Amino acid sequence: MKPLSRRTLLRGTGAALALPWFEAMAAKKGPAAKPPIRMAAMYMPNGVHPDLWTPAGEGRDFLLSSTLQPLQAFKNELIVGTNLWNQAAKGGDGHYVKMSGFLTCTTVTKTLGVDLNCNGISMDQVAAQRSGQQTPFASFELATSPVTTGVDRNVGYTRVYGSHIAWSGHSNPLAREINPRSVFERLLRATRPAGNAVQQDVQLLDLVLDDAKQLRSKLGTADQVRMDEYLSVVRSLEERLQRSASPTQANWKPRVAINPAAKPEAQPKDFAEHVRLMLDMMALAFQTDSTRIATFMFNNEVSNQNFTFVDGVKGAHHSISHHMDNAEQMHQYQLINRWHIEQYAYLLSKLQGMCEGETNVLHNSMILLGAGFRDGNKHDPHNLPVVLAGRAGGRLNTGQHLIYSPDSPLSNLYVSMLDAFGTPVERFADSTGPARGVLA
Amino acid sequence: MLKFLFLLAPVALAADPFAFGEAQSLLRANCQKCHSGKGAVGGFDLTQFPDEQSVIARAKLWHRVANRVREGDMPPPGSPAVSMVDREKFSNWVTTKLHAAACADGITPPPFPLRRLNRNEYTATVRDLLNIPVNAGRNLPADGAGGEGFDNAAETLFLSPIHAEKYLEAAKIALDYAMKDPKSRAAFLTKEPNARATLTALLPRAFRRPVDPAEIDRYIALFDAAQKRGDSYDDSISYAIQAVLLSPHFLFRLENSTLDFALASRLSYFLWGGMPDAELLKLAGENKLSDPAVLSAQAIRLLKDQKSVEFAENFVGQWLSIRELGRDIKPDPKVSPEYYDAEVQSGMLYEPTLFFQEVLMQNEPLTNLLSASYSVVSNKLARFYNIPSKDLRQQPKRFDMPAGSHRGGLLTMAAVLAVSSYPARTSPVLRGKWILESLLGTPPPPPPPNVPELKEHAGATPQTLRARLEQHRANPTCAGCHSRIDPLGFGLENYDSLGRWRDTEAGQPIDASGVLPDGTAYQGPEELKRVLLAKKTQVFQNLTRKLLGYALGRGLTAEDDCAVDQIVAAVERDEFRAHTLITEIVRSIPFRQESKR
Repeated sequence: MKPLSRRTLLRGTGAALALPWFEAMAAKKGPAAKPPIRMAAMYMPNGVHPDLWTPAGEGRDFLLSSTLQPLQAFKNELIVGTNLWNQAAKGGDGHYVKMSGFLTCTTVTKTLGVDLNCNGISMDQVAAQRSGQQTPFASFELATSPVTTGVDRNVGYTRVYGSHIAWSGHSNPLAREINPRSVFERLLRATRPAGNAVQQDVQLLDLVLDDAKQLRSKLGTADQVRMDEYLSVVRSLEERLQRSASPTQANWKPRVAINPAAKPEAQPKDFAEHVRLMLDMMALAFQTDSTRIATFMFNNEVSNQNFTFVDGVKGAHHSISHHMDNAEQMHQYQLINRWHIEQYAYLLSKLQGMCEGETNVLHNSMILLGAGFRDGNKHDPHNLPVVLAGRAGGRLNTGQHLIYSPDSPLSNLYVSMLDAFGTPVERFADSTGPARGVLA
Repeated sequence: MLKFLFLLAPVALAADPFAFGEAQSLLRANCQKCHSGKGAVGGFDLTQFPDEQSVIARAKLWHRVANRVREGDMPPPGSPAVSMVDREKFSNWVTTKLHAAACADGITPPPFPLRRLNRNEYTATVRDLLNIPVNAGRNLPADGAGGEGFDNAAETLFLSPIHAEKYLEAAKIALDYAMKDPKSRAAFLTKEPNARATLTALLPRAFRRPVDPAEIDRYIALFDAAQKRGDSYDDSISYAIQAVLLSPHFLFRLENSTLDFALASRLSYFLWGGMPDAELLKLAGENKLSDPAVLSAQAIRLLKDQKSVEFAENFVGQWLSIRELGRDIKPDPKVSPEYYDAEVQSGMLYEPTLFFQEVLMQNEPLTNLLSASYSVVSNKLARFYNIPSKDLRQQPKRFDMPAGSHRGGLLTMAAVLAVSSYPARTSPVLRGKWILESLLGTPPPPPPPNVPELKEHAGATPQTLRARLEQHRANPTCAGCHSRIDPLGFGLENYDSLGRWRDTEAGQPIDASGVLPDGTAYQGPEELKRVLLAKKTQVFQNLTRKLLGYALGRGLTAEDDCAVDQIVAAVERDEFRAHTLITEIVRSIPFRQESKR
């Protein structure tokens, strides 16, 4: 698909786009309204044990690998893709290029910062830019760690590339929310009637937007880009507030009420709890229909998270991922991979437990889990570990292990997902068509 | 027992082992096949560069070439490899030539970039503007780093929609607090309720420049609107100030007034991490800050103010990577439960910051950073170091380290030693890499992908880490880098993964000796410090680069590197006095560059 230019984006945030929400809300009257489709992408840093990921067998007749074993209960809800790769991420360094290009399928520009450019828009944002106006939040970007500090002089990349998977524009990585309490409060606030406060906020924002417009005209081209960013984010807030105060607001109600007392810890006691709480927030956002699009990063790329809390693991994630073919290290590596799959299974089970009429939220979702390269010791983006769960309301043909011809584009899977989500694209990055067998 | 030579080696760049002919023959042998003639890959045609002048004329391109060759991107995988020594010689040749050429015609740095305040700067500015002890920026997303590795680099300070939401929320939280606190009210509200007088005093501080009446009217209009809908005076003025805190004039470093006002902000965001105070704004208003003598004097005044702790914390935390401790790098609670004592942890984290601040404030020689007789410690940290201390309290203070304490200088601080370890064990490789990167400014290239398991020699597997690493270095592919990395790290093996002293590990005595590639041999951490002191020009050149990048809030260009040379030369002439480093930075051409807005 043709990437949206900054100009289009700026224009796109104009009042015209407030309309789809209005329409969508008007259409959603009555309890018979069809449940919405949700889409999430979850990212694991540092790759996986290359030999213990792929299921045995093909098509509907397959056995989960030992790494994917925690998904046994969801076998019929899964699509495991084999032989997909991200060609755009084949060069560059071992990690940064792989992570920031995972959802864009483009090659990021090598830089310590000055030319920050992903050269594409991530697939979640392609969907958000076309359908995000239907919910209070266009998308959620969730993570557990703040941006990694510093630049990596060894390889010549800013670590910003190793800390973001969602890109709303070529040089616009989306900042992530890492505090579960803060996510909860945003969700809760969105459910409250707007009242006069919104008009007052809008009046404030009008003034500062005026300031920015005046300033912009006096700036050079490079500086204008920064002011455009400011204009764009303030406008998007203003429009969101205006929408919430518009007469159609009465039509948006959370699909389930949020219990204000059920707020999560602001500072989870450890990493495992942090991951669970963030996944809880994603589930709540989907259940309430506060947003339909989310990304979640278990951690930044090159993360050296200590995994000794998993029985049998004696060290940190990145170090262990450089297993040097040592059997003992590889065993620990797999235990870490499996732990990630268990968390994924936890989210799936949570979504499955959320009823929506005769189905449930998982049935109406598609949750992608993957990594930017396969073997952490090799950093190669061939045969990426990717698994998709949920039926997107029946649009996905789940319960399959799909083996593609070697080096089929990962972007094909994204083309299929965008189609199932209701925001079809003809092409995405290097795609050659939809991924065979994914759509029902 | 000193076995090493005091090699007062000049800066790495001074060596020029390659002549143009040698560079050319290297290119011919390894690059020409793809990069020549009409169909040259990437449009990079070597036949266009017959002599040195033609290389110098395309400096930006050749800097990129040098980087790609140094980092091993080129020649690409699959083509015959070029040895690391040759790659370095070649890239040094390019950078040396370009550097000399760039400096020959004076320094023309790029303009000061427009950028927003980062999270820390935002918090400090709101704090000082409203006099509130509240972390208003707490919920803002953390900022990534660019340029020289700092989170104040213009190039990576992007904005996401979530920022707008959080700025609005933060402005409300800050004003909510400020309006209720008498001390804050006194700092930004007039005694008698008077919106115009309040905003007339507040806006120039908030925008860090003179503000004309028409601008004030716009905020008065907001106040009036609130009054009109029946809000109290307090609510109305608070409403108008919320807009001030959301304005791009507040959130961005715009530099759209005189150079003097630009300098006031440059100084204060450099040395305080926050807004300029009344004295700076007054001097700017009198056009005195552009006088280099006044500028230097103000820099020292700011440095000596306690607020410089903000600078020390942000700078040291990122320069030495200490900020990663507790974030990406967490000591294993089973191996190092002591780290999880909140007071030990904060003592560890603050030690390098407060020590750095002390060296700068007291105008000590910068060599103290490498080796000092004192540190800045709390009672808990001293106990953690096993140092008896009756007169230490919870608040860290300057403390002379007793003989035999094995402490002194950044290298022996727990935070540095822990951040360069694995969660559960030490690593001479990580520590060596930390020294090369943070102190010497020569980070090693990344390891090649798909490193196989170390092939075992005939006979038993080596038992110790040192023996395994020695075997590793026997492999020529690994030796290129590891002969440089490992020997530096061995010198710190007496400190465990949390930085505590140890004489033995698993019953075996610690061997803390190392032999550097140039043959320099040393024994233990004290001698390692002397090895580094012998390279002090290189260490402080690296520090200068980092500091200048931090002060400018952007990555350095080839032109800035000429300024670095001048600063280092001046600092060296002044026997490495700390104040000279700071004053030379603020007097440098890039720092005093006229804003182009």
